[in-house]
Amino acid sequence: MDRKPPFRRKTAISYKTEEKTVMRGYDLSELAEAGYSFYDAMFVLFQNRIPTENEKKMLKYEMGVFLEHSMSPSAVGAIGVSAGRPNLPVCVAAAVSTFGGVHGPGAAHGYMLNKYLERARKEGKTIDEIAKILVDEYMDAKKPVMGMGQPQHIDSDPRAEPIHLKQEELELEGVYLELQRAIEKHFHARRKKDGRSYVGVNVVGSGNAALMEIGFSPNAGWCIGSVVRGFSCAAHALFNMKKGRAWGASRNEPMVQMIDLSMIKYIGPEDRIVPKKEEQQEYAKKQKEKGEYKQWVI
Amino acid sequence: MGYLDKEKTDALNKLKRGRKIGNLDSPKNPFDYYAREYGTVPLDTKRAPFQWVSEVAYKNVHRIVARGYDTTELMEEGYGVIEVLFVDYQARIPTVEEGQMLNYVMILALEDGLSAPAAISRIVAKSKTFLTQACGASIMAFGHAYGAYSAFGNRLESYLDRVDKGEFTPEAAAELLVKENLHDEALGVSNLMLKDPAAKRMIARAEKLGVAGKYIEFTKEIVKAAQNLSTEPLDLDMLGATGATMMDLGFTPEATWAILAVTRSFAAGAHYIEAVEREESNRLGQQLTPKEDYDGPADRPVPPLADRDKVARSAVCRTPEEWKARFEKMKEVRGSGFSIVEEIEDPSKKSGIKKVGKL
Repeated sequence: MDRKPPFRRKTAISYKTEEKTVMRGYDLSELAEAGYSFYDAMFVLFQNRIPTENEKKMLKYEMGVFLEHSMSPSAVGAIGVSAGRPNLPVCVAAAVSTFGGVHGPGAAHGYMLNKYLERARKEGKTIDEIAKILVDEYMDAKKPVMGMGQPQHIDSDPRAEPIHLKQEELELEGVYLELQRAIEKHFHARRKKDGRSYVGVNVVGSGNAALMEIGFSPNAGWCIGSVVRGFSCAAHALFNMKKGRAWGASRNEPMVQMIDLSMIKYIGPEDRIVPKKEEQQEYAKKQKEKGEYKQWVI
Repeated sequence: MGYLDKEKTDALNKLKRGRKIGNLDSPKNPFDYYAREYGTVPLDTKRAPFQWVSEVAYKNVHRIVARGYDTTELMEEGYGVIEVLFVDYQARIPTVEEGQMLNYVMILALEDGLSAPAAISRIVAKSKTFLTQACGASIMAFGHAYGAYSAFGNRLESYLDRVDKGEFTPEAAAELLVKENLHDEALGVSNLMLKDPAAKRMIARAEKLGVAGKYIEFTKEIVKAAQNLSTEPLDLDMLGATGATMMDLGFTPEATWAILAVTRSFAAGAHYIEAVEREESNRLGQQLTPKEDYDGPADRPVPPLADRDKVARSAVCRTPEEWKARFEKMKEVRGSGFSIVEEIEDPSKKSGIKKVGKL
């Protein structure tokens, strides 16, 4: 059996011999045998260190609370992909891939916090002062303040404030929580001043602040949050694969299905005649001249 | 299902209030947790029910229509994939020459040896997956460096916009673009095609077919500016030639990205097949990572769990100065992410289709 790696690269993360697999210097088997948790292993993987008991507890809370979110883009992605009945991992991969610039933008939030912490340090501002600057700069530019607002949990994400409270209970209050709390304070004040409705902190705002407080980088935090969601998305896909109908269009189901033909609303160009092939050139040139097609270009 | 009735809701909340659940009754919460409803939100009858809204295509029991054209009729009249790509992305039939040019581009985009899309397809194949998983993985290999058609095209658009506004001549805009982006992977000019004439041939073909326009013209200016500015030999590369040609054919940067990534995926399918035919599958744990390739921390004993308090150092930083010191130190830990700073933004132009959905 060929045991050579598919490609060779230097890595500081792990190596694997016939005797053992070693991550950041620790034999994985020994780590498990010694009684460490999966959460501890995440700290070793991304930060090259054993966490404190409270840091481990915080990660445990964070990962648990983020794992399931019912119908959000990630679950819908998994369910949509499952309709064609590919292998299950494809549904999960699609779900994890839904995390981008809007859905669970953990890294973007982290980079925002880091950028303004650095500015506070360089410009000699307090964290409260820099939080106000952040909020004003984002809102003046009409950019959404990362970590605030959730389209479904409109008055407050049920996970968000409890994450803050857990972080405080575990005495893990550092610069990130201070900055995040200050952002929320100034964000609420600014919206109130502008006569706009209350928008609560979301799970990225509170959860990612906690992840970064316990030492994860923006991308490591994003990886943890996005991938842990993959567990529940697999369950949603599996439910649909085992108990639902493939395709999601059957007319024999009591409820109208996801892609029943009646679910399609078309707002494009009206039905039209296909030009004969010999008419193509003249037809195409006229179409370009007229330019009406431009409104539909995507 | 709808909301649980009030009597049951009150009873459940009373029970929970009595039992107390962690921090959920903290006055810091912006809500009274024990007054919250149970069950799903009832159907909203004030708004139109959900439908899949599309400008691109519809179907009914008897026909499939893309941008107004029945797709069966399109095929019966002698059109093919090339023309349907124009229909789907631009809502128009291409001229014969435009069709010929897209055909040319797609042939060149089909295969690129064992670069990222084919390599990932082959790696996935060895796990004994469906072919489609490998094809899908190959599409994901297209980013803002490899196959960076979106980045390339949007950059062209932004500088040409400034030319249109009278801010620069095309030559000056090209010079500025190169100055600001000389080392970017999506410049479209590099040392990759110094011995391969394919990129320049593509432009020559576009000119011969009469489909070359402002994007090809501007890209040529970029090549000139880059050659003037660089001390190394540089020339138009495949990204530049293909991206500019596709945009002169009327495709947006995003449409170009999608069409060419999918085009390559056909070849990735062939690489999957060859990997399955010629190579063995991999088992979990089969492939080793030689210790000589590892440059992380040396082997060390796992500390007893009871010693956690002695060995663990908290990451929590109380001041920006402490934070900065830790941040810099963590850059030494490869794979931790502390050396990466990137912009992750919403890549869509706008969200929501406001004109539909009203009752």
